Amino acid sequence: MKTIDAYKNDLDQTILSSKKMYDDAVAGCGGNISFRALPPSDIEIYNDFDLTKYNYETDLDAYAESLLAGMEKSFAARKDINDNFFPSIGPILGIGDYSAFVTGEIIFRKDTSWSTPCLKEIEDFRNLPPLGTSKWYKKFLEISELLLKKTQGTGIPFMRGFFSPLDLAHALRGENIYYDFYDDPDMVHELLDYCADATIKFAEDIYALNNKYNGKTKYGTWYTKGKINMSEDIACMISGAAYNEFCAPHTQKVIDHFGVGYMHCHSRAMYLVKEICHLRNVAHLWLATDPNQPRPIDHIEQLVKAANGVAIAIDCDTFEEIQNHYNEMKKGNFSICLPVKSIEEGIKYTTLFEQLKNK
Amino acid sequence: MILEDISTLLQKGKAKEVKILVQQALDEKITPTMILNEGLIKGMSIIGGKFKNNEVFVPEVLVAARAMNSGLEILRPALVASGAKSVGKAIICTVMGDLHDIGKNLVKMMLEGQGIEVIDLGVDVDADTIVEAVKTHHPDLVCLSALLTTTMMNQKVIIDALVKAGIRDQVVVMVGGAPVTQGFANEIGADAYTADAASASEAALAFLRN
Ligand code: B1M
Repeated sequence: MKTIDAYKNDLDQTILSSKKMYDDAVAGCGGNISFRALPPSDIEIYNDFDLTKYNYETDLDAYAESLLAGMEKSFAARKDINDNFFPSIGPILGIGDYSAFVTGEIIFRKDTSWSTPCLKEIEDFRNLPPLGTSKWYKKFLEISELLLKKTQGTGIPFMRGFFSPLDLAHALRGENIYYDFYDDPDMVHELLDYCADATIKFAEDIYALNNKYNGKTKYGTWYTKGKINMSEDIACMISGAAYNEFCAPHTQKVIDHFGVGYMHCHSRAMYLVKEICHLRNVAHLWLATDPNQPRPIDHIEQLVKAANGVAIAIDCDTFEEIQNHYNEMKKGNFSICLPVKSIEEGIKYTTLFEQLKNK
Repeated sequence: MILEDISTLLQKGKAKEVKILVQQALDEKITPTMILNEGLIKGMSIIGGKFKNNEVFVPEVLVAARAMNSGLEILRPALVASGAKSVGKAIICTVMGDLHDIGKNLVKMMLEGQGIEVIDLGVDVDADTIVEAVKTHHPDLVCLSALLTTTMMNQKVIIDALVKAGIRDQVVVMVGGAPVTQGFANEIGADAYTADAASASEAALAFLRN
């Protein structure tokens, strides 16, 4: 892996404009739109990387080498696209590691993974092994440290996202959590509080490692210092009222611990944008477009109203859509991602976007 | 009136109350089929419709289904004694490589809500397991859920395996899940595609009646 400037021409500028957007977002002011091109090379790593190929007990080095080689290839491929993408490294283990750090095993498939629910009764969380002692807690830190060692000196930021307390509780308790909302709401709060604490401890330990290796670099701690990235996928299953009652306080606890929240949810839960964006100090909400749901790009006006200034990251299908919605998007903060067929197309649309911005 | 109450309490997820009222309805000599259709199934259909329109959410559907099951517990012996025939049998799963089970579970509950017996094979289920299950349980319906573009092709793998095992015409294959479309269902040779759980149960019932 080379130093970060080998993969990004306008490093300072990209960070500066992102920082402005997120500062404005937290302050509730709009007016920022950033552009990200998504060439096939950005996602090839997810297609090529086979999670079942590695022995996580005995040969983490092979895993780390191959992951970093894939990342290097994708950073190098897009180095001439001057969009707002910023290289970052971090473990890719599917989705199982997002909950197995508490307890349990990860089941690996080629391009994904999962862990199975472990809480037969909701109060069983009280009998879980102490946080930090599970196999995958230690393994995750080991993998992170290996990646950090191998990329030390490159200045490439380390990045890690987390499940929100509700996502984690759902992974641990499975579908039963939905019955618990009705049967034992107090215990749901206790479990969610446990999940918030677990996330805080896990993130703190990861961040400390990042600080050890990247603390002195210019941008190495960009994704970790004073920030937390969390997904609210399971919130898509519940109402806004239930979100406010059960989830908001615990998600807020995690955000408050770190400073600013960078959240993720789905277009399935467009009705929740308001709830999530009204949590304190949320800077960013990545609203993934779902296959069977309305597309966020078609609902900009509604999103501006609900977002409270929070920067909403969405995708679109064509550049014309960006042009058509540009003025509306300017009323809030948006980070827009356009899938492109090639690097050349990525360069072309980034240039067109700059022209649109400077008009 | 009592049937109306059963339906209303079921929609609120009041399992204990539903159980008591079903017993009361039986004591009042209301026929088991009437209690099933006008009380339990009616309540579950209303919840299914509300879910489709985002008026209620996953927890509400699940507790309603639980209330229905508690009513069915009381009703089942009376239904059997009255000679009411089972509507039909289905096996359901999320296909291999895929762990998304929330939608699959809702489809299962809506099928059960129509009085269909459902055998749930869980998630990450491969073609051999389905073929084996069809041979063992002789279901009328095979219901396959897939949420990933990478796993929806496994619905075809399963249909092909049923053909290869010579048992394809013994079952109606229904498919669904977020990325699945009618076009895709036609392409892979499924018998039905539905976009949501309530429609899946209606389609299933229509197949069983024919
Ligand atoms: C038989 O006949 C029928 C008929 C109708 C049928 C049917 C069968 N089956 C379903 N239906 C229909 O009726 C149901 C009720 O009306 C409906 O079912 P649905 O399941 O669609 O709806 C449910 C009621 C609610 N919806 C859901 O439960 C799915 C919601 C979303 C947000 C979602 C969730 C929650 C999760 N996920 Co996943 N997840 C997404 C989903 C986005 C979306 N909106 O679909 C989707 C499906 N996920 C995706 C991805 C990528 C992934 N997820 C993953 C993991 C997870 C969680 C664990 C976090 C969680 C699943 C928890 C669980 N136990 O199920 C991973 C895969 C794991 C795996 N191998 O399966 C992972 C690969 C992420 C990763 N980095 O590893 C995306 C797939 C993209 C694609 N094109 O393939 C995705 C569309 C999100 C996105 N926009 O990117 C209908 O589709």
